[in-house]
This record gives sequence, C-alpha cells and structure tokens, in this order.
Amino acid sequence: MAVTAATAVLPTGPSLQRRAGLGPWFAVTPMLGWLALFVIVPTLMLVVVSFCERDALGRIVYSFTFENYTRAFDWKWLKILGVSVWYAFLTTVICLVLGYPVAYFIGRSSERVRGLLIMLVMIPFWTSFLIRTYAWISILSQEGLLNALLMTLKITSAPIGFMYTPFAVILGLVYNFLPFMILPIYTSVEKLDGSLIEAAYDLGARPARVFSRVVLPLTQPGIAAGILLVFVPAIAMFAITNLMGGGANPTIGEVIQNQFTRARNQPFGAALGVLLLAIFIFSLWLSSKFRRGHEA
Amino acid sequence: MTKHKTKLFAAACAGALLLAGCGKKDETLKLFSWSEYVPQAVIDKFTEETGIKVAVENYSSNEEMLAKLLAGGGAYDLIQPSEYTVQAMIKEDLLQELDQEKIPNLKNLAPEFRNMPFDPDNKFSVPWMAGFVGVVYNAEVVPGPIVSYKDVFTDEHAGRIVVLDDAREIVTWGLATAGIPINDVSDENLATITPLLKDWLGKVKVFDSDSPKTAMSNGDTDIGIVWSGEGALLFAENPKFQWVMPVEGVHMFVDNLAIPKTSRNKDKAEAFINFILRPDISKMISDEFPYYNPNLEARALLSPEQLNNPASYPPGFDLTSAQLFTDIGEQASKVDELITTIKVQ
Repeated sequence: MAVTAATAVLPTGPSLQRRAGLGPWFAVTPMLGWLALFVIVPTLMLVVVSFCERDALGRIVYSFTFENYTRAFDWKWLKILGVSVWYAFLTTVICLVLGYPVAYFIGRSSERVRGLLIMLVMIPFWTSFLIRTYAWISILSQEGLLNALLMTLKITSAPIGFMYTPFAVILGLVYNFLPFMILPIYTSVEKLDGSLIEAAYDLGARPARVFSRVVLPLTQPGIAAGILLVFVPAIAMFAITNLMGGGANPTIGEVIQNQFTRARNQPFGAALGVLLLAIFIFSLWLSSKFRRGHEA
Repeated sequence: MTKHKTKLFAAACAGALLLAGCGKKDETLKLFSWSEYVPQAVIDKFTEETGIKVAVENYSSNEEMLAKLLAGGGAYDLIQPSEYTVQAMIKEDLLQELDQEKIPNLKNLAPEFRNMPFDPDNKFSVPWMAGFVGVVYNAEVVPGPIVSYKDVFTDEHAGRIVVLDDAREIVTWGLATAGIPINDVSDENLATITPLLKDWLGKVKVFDSDSPKTAMSNGDTDIGIVWSGEGALLFAENPKFQWVMPVEGVHMFVDNLAIPKTSRNKDKAEAFINFILRPDISKMISDEFPYYNPNLEARALLSPEQLNNPASYPPGFDLTSAQLFTDIGEQASKVDELITTIKVQ
C-alpha cells in the first residue's frame, strides 16, 4: 500500500494549484486577534514596564532605566532562578520516567480500556489544582494521614516531617504536571504502527533494541512536547512551591509574585519576567531543533 | 444565508446591550476586601435589609490592593486598607471624605479607635478590626516561659518555627529587639539588624501569612509569630496554644473601611460602613474572625469566652503602648529584598 502511494506520480501543475483567497484569512482572524490581544500586547507591556521606574506607592513611572536589569543580574536572583530551574528539571525527569510507561500502556490497550484509562488521567483536572495541593498538605503533615498510617503499622515511632521540604515541593510539582507528560506521549504511542514493531522483531531485534531504535524515535515528538509542557510551567510555578515548601526557599515565581503584590516594584518584577520569558523562548528553540534534527 | 444573518443580528444585539450596560450607573456595591475577613453572612444580611447587591473581590496584602486600584482595573466602591496605607492614600489624595452624618453608628466605636493618628477625626476611614502580632506556642511541647521575640528563635526551636511571610513584619521584630523604633527602616538600621535576622530566619521552617495556624495545628511547627486572630482561633481550638505579647514592644494593626476617589456609589458605601458599625453586625464579624473589635457596643454582646481569649483581648495590655506602622514608601522594596536575600543565603 505504502509503496504504491510513494511511487504514484502526483499530478502537479499551475492548473491544479489553488490560490488562497480571503476565506482562510477570514477564518484565522479570530485566532490572530486573540493572539494579538492576549499574547503580543501583554508581552510588549511587560517589556515596556521592565524599563520603567516606580514611585513610592508602586505606580509605574514612564521614564527609561536599565536599573531593573542590572539589579536582576545579582547572584541572589540568579541563585533563586537556578534553584527553580533545578526543581523544574527534576520534575520533568521524574514525570518522564513515571509517565512514559503509563502512556505506553494506555496507548497499546484496547480501544475500550484506553478511553477509560485516559479519563482516569484527566479526572484530577475536574478539581482546582490548589484544592488538590491543600489535600496533599493534610496527607503529609505531622498529624496527617500518611504519618498516622506509618505509625499504626509501626513503621515509625515518631511522625516524619514530610511537609515544607524540597521533597514535598517536588512531589507537589510531579503530581500536578504528570498528566501533561502522559497525554502528549500517549498521542504519539497511539499513532505508533504495530506492524513496524512486528517487523523489527521479525528482523531479529531484541526488545531493548526494538524500543531504542523503533519505539523511542517514533514517540519522540510526544516526548518533546511533554518535556516542554512540564518544564516551562514548572519553572514559573509559585502556588505549589509556596504551599508545599513553606516559603523558606522561594522560587523565581514566588519572587516575581512578591514584586507585584508586596514589594511595590512592578518594573523589577517585569524585568525578572522578561528574563524568564527569554529562558522559555530558548527552551522552545532547543526543543524545535531537537524535533527537526530527528526528522532530518 | 438567513441563518447566518440571524446569528449576526443576535451578536450585534448582544454587543449593543453590553454597551448600554456600560453607560448605566452600576447598582452593585463593589467591595474590595482582605481574604478571610468579611463573613458572607454579613454581606447577605446587608443585601437582605437594603436591597443593595454586593460584589466582593479579595486581596492578601495592602500592596496588592494598591496595585490593582491604581491600575484602574475595577471601579471599587469600598476598600479595606491598613493604617499605614490609609495614611499614604490620604497623602496621595486617593480617598473620598466621609459624610459623617450618614454614619451615625460611629458613636459605637471605642474612643481610642476614633481620631487615630493616621486619620484624625475619621475623615476618610472607619476602623473595621484591629489586631496584634505576637507569639503563639504549643505548651505541650515548648516548656516556656516565652516572653520575647528572641525566645522564639532559640536553637531548641530551630526547624519548628512558623512566621508570617511578610518582610515588613519580620524587620519589625528585629528592630524592636534592637531597641530601634519600628518605623525607622533606614538603610543603616536595616544593616544593623541583618546579622540578627540571618540567625533567626535560618531556623524558620514555614513562612506563611495567609494561614500560619495550619502549620501549628497540623503539628509541623511548635512556636511561631502570627496575627492575633490566628492565635485566637488556635487557642479556641485547643488551650495548649498559648499567646504571648512580646516584651520588646507590640505592633498593632488597624484595618479600615474607606471609599476610593474612583467610586461612584458613595451613598451605598457609607450605608455599608454604618451597617457594619451596628453592634449585632459587628458581633457577627467577631464570631468568625476573632480579632480585637474596636466597637465598644459590639464587645458588650460578646460571650465571656470570646472576651477571655488572650489573643483577641490580651489581659492587662495597655493599647496606647502598641505601635502602629507608618508608610515607608519606596523602602518597602528594600525591606523585601533584604528578607529574600537572607532566605536564599
């Protein structure tokens, strides 16, 4: 089948080419309008504000300054940024290791089971992530469910302080972002042609080799999308890290939020936001290069 | 084609209605208040008695309120600024003068809460609730006695401490301990207390301004510096949570109702202010949020249990000895940076 399609001569010529009329443009206008209004304009505002000053009450004063950026490149903010990137990296790796087998299993299940399993992955989205994070607090606290269980089973004699530790932060992040890793990988696995795997086995490949030479390359777009969907929002996350970490080791998201809500310094918050944006654009570029490199 | 036209027509109508709606004077009272501070029952009762609908939006710091108000996002009719923010807003001409004849219930306020230094004669603001920042500890685990801020930050308590995640508050405890007036946040004074704060904050487990009582009642911390309302709730839950007013000096906050210049519903806002000054209504607020009620007539209605809660009404405490915040302007950013720097060291 595939061979026939590839060898068939496709009729090409000016007579068959259609010029795009105004129709398609009209159709994408709402989308372009949306992008302009909610992505481009706010981003430009962020950039403008990051070069501004502010008065005693925190109002933005429109006079040009580089000060916010010179201040942003101080070791302490960079250290906070580094910790945030590290948390996001760990979260991404753990999500990938946990999420890939799940996504693979779901993708290779029968159609009926597949729908059910995907629904199970999606169900947590029905509740706000803040409420689910508060639920974790009541599970992990010293007088919480987990410690009660461990002590009843005599595994520990004294309660363990799970909460307000880096462990709790990573757990909260992994828990919240795991579905964003599973879903795109699942989409790739679902499209995977089973006959290719069969062919690999027929040609004498062992399971490890089938996985590394056939399955992995074919699901790579899903992996790349999953990594991006987890890594990027995890860097800037502030609610989960603050609730689970106890605020003693603030992440860059918490620091930016503080500039707007407590420190009366929106321009500095905007400058940190622009730096974060630069990191996001860099990861996007890296990921698209990774994908294109694979296709070539 | 006809179907298309009908849809277009419907959309046009909706747009026209929307525009018409903008022109009309808004009948709803827009209240911009602290989260966890205005009982829903009070709002429902106000609507029931006056027919005025109330839309509530919340914030969790004075700075957040200021930022949203000054950005002109929502046309708020009533805000709830703390004393130093009232002072700054009066100075910047951002508040409307109150018509005291429309607020006869002002007479219910205790004399010490009328005519306060940040707003002489209550020209622009009316106190909602007041409170203190003090020490709460679990007497079953911490032997005590605890009398001061520095008693909190001992090596025995390291890793078992919760404090407010509020840079200005933290700096205040350091200044009070060093014997410096709490509003004197000059660069030199901040430098003086930096070593002390470095030592203290290294021992803190949790920074939480929204609900510091959670870490205490969950058993994750044994001692902390928190809002008096939180301390009162902990004491009411279990008397093992003891309350202490630190000897170095106590900071008192007074949260107020005020009407921003941008409001076009001044009459309704004043009606709401007068409503919450009614003793029975003010009592409803105290029932849910046990801070220090500035309303004398309402305090007469409280139960002995409520009045004997040491965090709500500290026994033998002289109110005039409590210190109020004044506005520190641009230093707020320096204070925030100092605390963040110490946290990440």
